[in-house]
Amino acid sequence: MATPNSDKDMRIIFRTVNDFIANDGAVRLGRLSLPNRNPVDTPNYFGLTSRGAVPHMTPDNISKHTEIGGVYIAIEDFLEHSRKRAYPAIYNIDVPGKEPLHAYTATPSSMVTILGARRNPAVTAPSGNGRNYISIFTSTGFQRLDTENYHRAIENVRPDIAIPLADLTFNESKAYSNAKRQLRMVERTEDWLAAFFKLRDPEDTPRKTDHGAHIFGPLLPTDFQTQWEYINRLAQDYAEKLSGLAVYDVNILPDLAEYSSLTHLPRLSLDIMTSPHDILRQVQLGIDLFTIPFLNSTSDAGVALTFKFPPPPNPAASILPLGTDLWSVDHQTSLAPLAEGCECYACTRHHLAYMQHLLNAKEMLGWTLLQMHNHRVLSDFFAGIRGSLGRGYAAFEEDCARFARVYDTEIPKGTGTRPRARGYHFKSEGGESKINEAAWENYEAAGSGDPVVAAEMAGRAATGAKGEGKETPVVPEGGAEELDKKGFAEIDK
Amino acid sequence: MPSRNDLLIIRPFYILTSTFSFQMVSLLKLAKITEEGVRFMSPHDGTPMLLTPEHSISLQNTIGSDIIMQLDDVLVTTSPDHVRMREAMERSVRWLDRCIAAHKNPDTQNLFCIIQGGLDTEMRRECTREMVARNTPGIAIGGLSGGEAKSDFCRVVLTCTELLPELKPRYVMGIGYPEDLVVSVALGADMFDCVWPTRTARFGNAITKHGVLNIRNSKYANDFGPLEEGCECACCRTGEGAMGITRAFVHHNTAKETVSAHLLSIHNVWYQLNLMREVRNAIIADEYPAFLRQFFANLYPDKADYPEWAVEALRMVNIDLRSNNT
Ligand SMILES: [Zn+2]
Ligand SMILES: [Zn+2]
Repeated sequence: MATPNSDKDMRIIFRTVNDFIANDGAVRLGRLSLPNRNPVDTPNYFGLTSRGAVPHMTPDNISKHTEIGGVYIAIEDFLEHSRKRAYPAIYNIDVPGKEPLHAYTATPSSMVTILGARRNPAVTAPSGNGRNYISIFTSTGFQRLDTENYHRAIENVRPDIAIPLADLTFNESKAYSNAKRQLRMVERTEDWLAAFFKLRDPEDTPRKTDHGAHIFGPLLPTDFQTQWEYINRLAQDYAEKLSGLAVYDVNILPDLAEYSSLTHLPRLSLDIMTSPHDILRQVQLGIDLFTIPFLNSTSDAGVALTFKFPPPPNPAASILPLGTDLWSVDHQTSLAPLAEGCECYACTRHHLAYMQHLLNAKEMLGWTLLQMHNHRVLSDFFAGIRGSLGRGYAAFEEDCARFARVYDTEIPKGTGTRPRARGYHFKSEGGESKINEAAWENYEAAGSGDPVVAAEMAGRAATGAKGEGKETPVVPEGGAEELDKKGFAEIDK
Repeated sequence: MPSRNDLLIIRPFYILTSTFSFQMVSLLKLAKITEEGVRFMSPHDGTPMLLTPEHSISLQNTIGSDIIMQLDDVLVTTSPDHVRMREAMERSVRWLDRCIAAHKNPDTQNLFCIIQGGLDTEMRRECTREMVARNTPGIAIGGLSGGEAKSDFCRVVLTCTELLPELKPRYVMGIGYPEDLVVSVALGADMFDCVWPTRTARFGNAITKHGVLNIRNSKYANDFGPLEEGCECACCRTGEGAMGITRAFVHHNTAKETVSAHLLSIHNVWYQLNLMREVRNAIIADEYPAFLRQFFANLYPDKADYPEWAVEALRMVNIDLRSNNT
């Protein structure tokens, strides 16, 4: 972290380049600048990680073949219980000149890290949250995380940006419709936030002080009437401690216009989105930063995104698809790129026929290339949004309207099998068994029964089939239909 | 005019192809081999298929690979059926003739024969003489790595290489463990292929000069060192722009995220390529016996633990692995 600088408000990491007042929300072009990281022009998106990794992509490929400026990381991916370790391993790493979160996950140091308690999307905990804690889902099961432990985690791993605990159930279809539950969510979150700031800054020092991570205050998934007191408190008591807002329901944004102490803060969306249409709507409401949950799941489904912004001329007036299902036999001999005109690594070197071959052969490379492509489509999409906004809000509105007319409403579903269920494929109901249960068998068994480790402990090199443990399979256990039924990559089913 | 394969795969490297992998022999239980070719059920849709030597070469001519392999009649070396083994060996020779006759691009694509004959050294010699007489640009020793004893494997490799001409590449198929590579080189082999480095990566294993480490073991959870100290692969190397991959991070994601399999593959493939680079340097410096002694000393702190098969195989080529001269 940079040292405190008396001339500069360390808390401010966001500058707007151009504001547009429209749709009751402040739409703007902006720039997020954090110490020692590359600046990020907004609107833009950050990569979603699973266990600290952007799925299917090694850190060198992220640097070389994507334009992602930052990543969202969930602390629940690092807090598994272990009889052997008193503290999570990530607390113990010490690399000079590197924040532990960056060092442990090998995140390129030019990239911004955002730490949240839970993944996005998160698995619904069957037992819910408690008065003092939230339920988190680790690879060893559900655990409790309270404000004190979360604060300690932030101090230990030192993310660039952290989102304090909020009493979310990730089950909006049921619980959030309950008014009592909503009120409790707001009250608890407010209490936890007060406790959180107290822990970070017991003396309540004035602004301009560096307290490590920049804090994005949560805006809750409920209507304004239910959380207006909480938002008042954010605006009056905490505005000086906040560097941004984490928005769990974008419909609250129009009501934010009243709060001048909050409007200049960058807004990160953690709201649900299933298509680029949702992204555009959220930009129109004033979101600056996104995480795109449908990106990873689209790649896993074997679907290459194909949309552009502004949309291309469409003289035939046909509805253009948002993506291409690479499993379709139509592509068996096609030498076309994944998307016409795309300049990503995959499109400039390979083509649909090879991609389909890789998916059929269940080669991991297929999903890696697809991730490179889909990330590129999203980066280009946001660059297009910024370009359009640069021409004025009217131009942007016009492009959005045309996008809605030109493109289909939904991303096509992949028709083939997906990679084996991994971290972010868990079933929604925590009480049930996990899709990829087998992979965790003997996880902490210290190699008992593992011939390689046994041989290794005896100081012998062990090679050969008999010396091998369990594979990281790329083939799913069960077909796509089965995974779908089990709630593949969905938060609620 | 680029071949189809140039269009389908961008290829900065040589490509070697074969049409019928040895591994398939065990998988395709229903494969039936006749003089005509191999009949089997398509693993894709279950339709009956016939692969003939002519078809095999035609496919590889279309693909345009740099090295193409003959279709051979192969069965596991451990098969006790001596009559069937002889039939397979003789048929492989006849099929080579058909492959040579069918080969359309002998100037641009190199057809390799495949020596068969199981573990019977006399049969291997006979096959080798027949194959060498047909003067293919390269020669493969096939049918091995199918579960035979290592000492049998070494005996077969040496039997074949002793009869092979000096200036043709000798390719031992399906070999990949580091010990097997360095011993096979001593026995006269030049090139190998194996899925092991990447397959074992998917199992969470890192190949190092001191042996294979299973990174899934919980002892690596707090190990913040590189996969192998001093390794120059993209994961382990240090300095400007280094990825800074730790054993702890790979452990964190083994069997959970494919990224760990990718990282271990990067490291393992680099290890194998670097091993062969060191092998070449040692040969050029005329220090291969010393190289072998150091290689095994790195793997086994106690000479008594050296695998007997390796000690014996190297003795056949006058290298004393347990000698103190390094
Ligand atoms: Zn592309
Ligand atoms: Zn390495």
